[in-house]
This record gives sequence, C-alpha cells and structure tokens, in this order.
Amino acid sequence: MNTRMDAILKKLPSFVDQIKSIKEVIISNIVLIGQTPAPTFHEEARTEIFLERLSDAQADYCSTDDYNNPIGIILGKSGGAKPPIFVVAHMDTFFNADLGHNYVIRKNSITGPGILDNSLGIGVLASMPIILRKLKLAFESDIVLAGVTQSIGTGNLQGIRRLLNTWDDPIRGAVIIEGADLGRLSYYSEGIIRGEITCNVSVPEDGEHRYKHNAILILNEVIDEILAMELPQRPRARVIIGKFNGGFKHGVIALNARLGFEIQSNSDDMVKRMYHEMMDIVEGIGHEHRVDLKLNIISNLYPATLKYKHPLVKSTVAIMKRLGLKPASHSSESELSVFLTQNIPAVTLGITDGKNVHVEQATMKIDPMFTGIAQIIGTIMAIDSGVCDEK
Amino acid sequence: MKSNWLNTNTFHHSEFKEIELLVKKKEKKNLTISLCLPTLNEEKTIAKEIIIMKSELMTRFPLIDEIVVVDSGSSDNTLDIAQSYGAEIYEASNILPHLKESTGKGENLWKALYITKGDIIIYLDADIKNIHHRFAYALLGPLLLNDKIKYTKAFYDRPISTDQQKIRATGGGRVTELIIRPLFSLFFPELTQIIQPLSGEYAGFRDLFEKIPFPIGYGVETSMILDIYEKWGIDVMAQVDLDRRVHRNQDTKALGRMSFVILKTFLNRIEGLEKIKLNTDLFNEMIQYKQTSGEYQADIYKIKDHERPPMITVPEYCEKFNRHL
Repeated sequence: MNTRMDAILKKLPSFVDQIKSIKEVIISNIVLIGQTPAPTFHEEARTEIFLERLSDAQADYCSTDDYNNPIGIILGKSGGAKPPIFVVAHMDTFFNADLGHNYVIRKNSITGPGILDNSLGIGVLASMPIILRKLKLAFESDIVLAGVTQSIGTGNLQGIRRLLNTWDDPIRGAVIIEGADLGRLSYYSEGIIRGEITCNVSVPEDGEHRYKHNAILILNEVIDEILAMELPQRPRARVIIGKFNGGFKHGVIALNARLGFEIQSNSDDMVKRMYHEMMDIVEGIGHEHRVDLKLNIISNLYPATLKYKHPLVKSTVAIMKRLGLKPASHSSESELSVFLTQNIPAVTLGITDGKNVHVEQATMKIDPMFTGIAQIIGTIMAIDSGVCDEK
Repeated sequence: MKSNWLNTNTFHHSEFKEIELLVKKKEKKNLTISLCLPTLNEEKTIAKEIIIMKSELMTRFPLIDEIVVVDSGSSDNTLDIAQSYGAEIYEASNILPHLKESTGKGENLWKALYITKGDIIIYLDADIKNIHHRFAYALLGPLLLNDKIKYTKAFYDRPISTDQQKIRATGGGRVTELIIRPLFSLFFPELTQIIQPLSGEYAGFRDLFEKIPFPIGYGVETSMILDIYEKWGIDVMAQVDLDRRVHRNQDTKALGRMSFVILKTFLNRIEGLEKIKLNTDLFNEMIQYKQTSGEYQADIYKIKDHERPPMITVPEYCEKFNRHL
C-alpha cells in the first residue's frame, strides 16, 4: 500500500461516528425516497424526489440524462483534469406502485418493501454531498452520483448501459452500492442469459377436448430435461429455475404457463452452449406435443472480472478490514458487469445487514449502516488517490 | 352563510415549501416553535416522525426548536424509541402531578402547554404512516406569514392502510360526515367550511391555546374549534391541504365511541352558549352490543368527560410563563 492509502486507512475508523452524528438526515433520505414506489419502467416519481433531495443536499449539478437517469455531480478540485469517479445505485424495485410503501422505523431497524434493494442505496447516494461535507472531504475527481433506472429483470440494466454509452469521457473508477449485505465485495460478474419459457395450449375451434395438453405438465417435462443437462465442473456453469406461474384454478387444465430461468457461467462460450441446448429441448418438446412452446431471452451479460490482485480490489479489502469487516466476494450480475465490460474498474459494496431482502417485510439494521457508508467513502478516496490509475 | 373564509383562509402546503423564508419570518418575529407528539403505543410510527422532523426542520432548517413527546402510559417501546432519536419525552402523569390524574389525548395536549417552551405549538398525531415535514411547515406557514391567523388545521385525502398494506382509494372521515358536519350545519354553518374538523394535526399560538379548556379525550378537536370560533371568530383560523395522510383504520364500534364523546362535548358546548336547553342530564356510558355464543351482551364504554380548564388558570403555569389572568 502506498502512503496515501495508509493515510486513508488511518482516518477511516473516525468516519463512522461522524457519519452516525447525522443519522437523522441519512435515514430521512432513505425513507422519503424509499417510500416513493419505483417499479421497473416506472421510476419517474422516485427520480423526481431523488433529484429534489440531491439538490437540497447541495450537489453542484442535478439533472437527468436522456434516459431519465437522475444524476448529481460534486465537482472535484482538479477542474476536470482527473476523470470522474462514479457512485451508482439502482432506482427500481420489485414492488408494484399500489403496494403501501410506508416504512416502519424502530430503534435499530427499518422495515418495508424494497428497503434493502435498493432504497437504502439510493438514500445513501442522495445523502452523499452532506456526508462528504460532514467529513470535510474534497476530491480531485468529480464525483458523479448516478441513480440508474430500468435495472432489474426485464429492465436489463438499460439505465446504466445507456448512461455509459452516452458518456464520452474516460471514467476513473466506480463504486456500485447495494443495501445488503455489509461485507459484500463483488468485483466479478458471471456471464448470464436470463430468459422465459412460455407454453400456450391452443383451444381447438370445434371446442375443448376433455383430455387436452396441460401447459404446466409440459413445462415440467422441460424442467426435467434441463435438470438432466450435463454441466462441467470447469468452467463453472448452472441453470437456475427462478420463477414459475400458470393455470387458472384448481379443477381446470392449465392452458398456459411460464418459467423464468437464468443460465450462469464464468465462460461466455458455456453460457451460449447451454442456451443452444435449452433451445433444442424447447423445440423438441414443442414439436412432440404440438403446442406453442417458446424460449425468449430477457437479458444477457458477458462475464467480466477484475483480478483479486487489482489495486482497487486490494485497497477495498484493506478498507473493509480496517473497519472490522470480513470481505465476502461473490459474483454480481448488476451495474458492475456493465462497468467491467467497458474496462472501467469497479466494485459493488453492501451497506448493512438485514433479512427478507425481497419480501414486503424486508428489514435493515441501522447501526452497521454507518460502517457500510464509511467503507464506500474509503473506496472513493482510494480511487481518488490513484489506485485505479495504475496500469 | 355569507363567509368567504373557504376561499381566503384555505391554503395548499406547496405555498409554504420555501422553508428558508419561514425561518426568516420566525427569526424576524423572534418566535420559538415547539412540536408536540401525543402518544399511546405508537412504536411503529413515532421514530419516523421524529427523525424526519428533526432532520428537515431542525438540522437542515432551524424552524422547530424542540420536539416533545407526551405519553399516556404506553405499554410498548414508544418512549424508549422516541428518546433514542433525540425527542424530549414525558409521561403525562408526571406533568403537574398534583392534579387529579386523567388519561387521554386531550390531557397530553393540555399538559404539553406546560412543558413546551414555544410561542407556537404544533400538534401532530403520532400514528401518521406517510409522515413528511410538510405536515409541520405547512401548518406553520399561515401563522408566520399572516399576522391575523392564529390557528391552523390540516386537511387531506384519507386513504386507509389495511393489514395487507394495500391502500384503498377511498374511506375515512366517517365521523366528520355523519356527526360533525350535520351538527355544524345545524348550529354553526360557517364552520362547515372546515374540511376536516377532526384532523389531529394543528398548530397555533400559545396565547390562544392557553385561554381555552381542553377535554381530555376525543372531544378535544371539536371543542377547540368551537371555543376559538366563539372567542376570536373564524378569521383567526386557516386550513391547509396536506394532500394525503395514511392512517390506521378504525372499526365501526370504535368510531361509534368516538362519535359519542364528540356529541357529548358538542351538546355541552352549545348548551353553555345557550343555543339549546337540555332538560335532562346526559348519560355517561356508550352502550354497544356484541354477540357471544348466540347471545347479545352489552358492551359498556364509560366516557371520560373530564375537561381541563384553560391553562392560564393554573398557578404553576402562570408562574413559569410569567402570565397573569
């Protein structure tokens, strides 16, 4: 570690209590933004309040790009001589707008839909100008605070893809922030193909047959054949069956069904091979039963990675250890992969501990959050000190 | 009804969103402002109210000088949580403890006059699920920007939060529409212009609150409006649209008990004003029925109809605030 990094590590523990001293401001941002629903493709209301809060926090520039990604910029001291550092959190959630998004705050927790994914991340992002002022920190690089839209599921990371595609200038490095879990350190993304297999059984014009095909049973055959696929130990590869729905009611044969899956591998060739194999399965079973069976791709990502020895990863590990955290690395198929595939050094960090991440009663712990924010600040400082500039 | 009050004294919260301007007015007038949250088992909502008010109207903009929680004896963690987020907490029974003990929201509001310091006091119910700092600054707006207005009251859409967390588009305000508005129409048509007379969010000058009596229970909102109206007229009042308030749903029986108290308060007030003459004493028990094992049983609710006198008649208060009757 260089001396600048040593200086950062020395300061870090004192940040935690200083950040905690403005906890009301941070929690208010988390709650006021998080209570505004933002299902994927419908993030407008949350975008508006996020920008309002960012502007109230006195970010130097607040605006949206042409894809409605809300962005704030804290100007750096170098006057543009150093490329900007991106801090990114996704705006959208899994929950519908008609669901009550009213959070419950207790002594050391906040509970409510989407709190960990990703109201906490967005709330911390909106608080960043206030936190940096509190810590009396200024950077050489501009800090670009980007809330990105259309991230989850069929959103297919469109917000970040568009933002980076239209950002002409170099980017020094990026920190992607997610609500959970504290200690998470992601610096590689697996290749994925996320898709859906749909089965629709047509009703004959001359009326329904008593024993017609059942769409759920046909998809069951598909699942059986997917599970029978031979997968290698290396490169690592797997298929996750993540969603399933179909049918009308208990006593009626299901005429349609839908299966959501994801192929994951650290080899792009393997992802493609598995995809073609699944296409063969779908076409075969569809032909055999003469039903409308289709496989549609929702999104895909190329595998990308930073090496563990990359200075950004090593610095982040040192920062986390200095704050008493035990880094746990795993793959992240999120904004991280878009940065990495464009050769921009980036890591994804979690802010706090919690439970029930993807259900309505998701709960985050408040106290660990201040350490989580300190590690984010430390990582921004590390990038600003030049760790990503090393070739 | 000739009054044009609805047009002249009704505001929208967005008219007061320049909080910096409100702070300047407050400082120019050399005023202090207290926020009081009356509580009884509000552990699910109290923290959020304190955090947002403290963050937005104390830390970011110095509009409010203190946040005070006055509790009626919560059995949950309301007070512990409130204290952990920096509110001053009081149990109502420990304020002016030599007075005969009573419990109820009105009691908390009345005793808050003794322990708060502000020239202006904002009262907010502590069960607001979608709390936003506009609930406070919008009520302060007319008080700070208009010298004639001494009391402001909130109104809003009232979606109800159900157990499934789904928000229903309509609902709420049943007691207002079935009890209060008919009574106001009969006796005080001018007051029908107040859209939600029972809303639990209001603010006013201490000079005004200290001169009116406070029923200890549900009747406090109704009596407050009637007393202010009779003493100073409708023009000292204003109402502010806060857009939307998500609150707990109450079952019909609970609303029935609330209606009973409000009716009794109202009848006592208008008899005192010699608008009617009751030739009988009013009973003090609301009798409802429940079916148990196929039989109907009376469910009797004894009403606490005690009323606190104007705070300015309490010697300890006069001494503390240098007031004279």
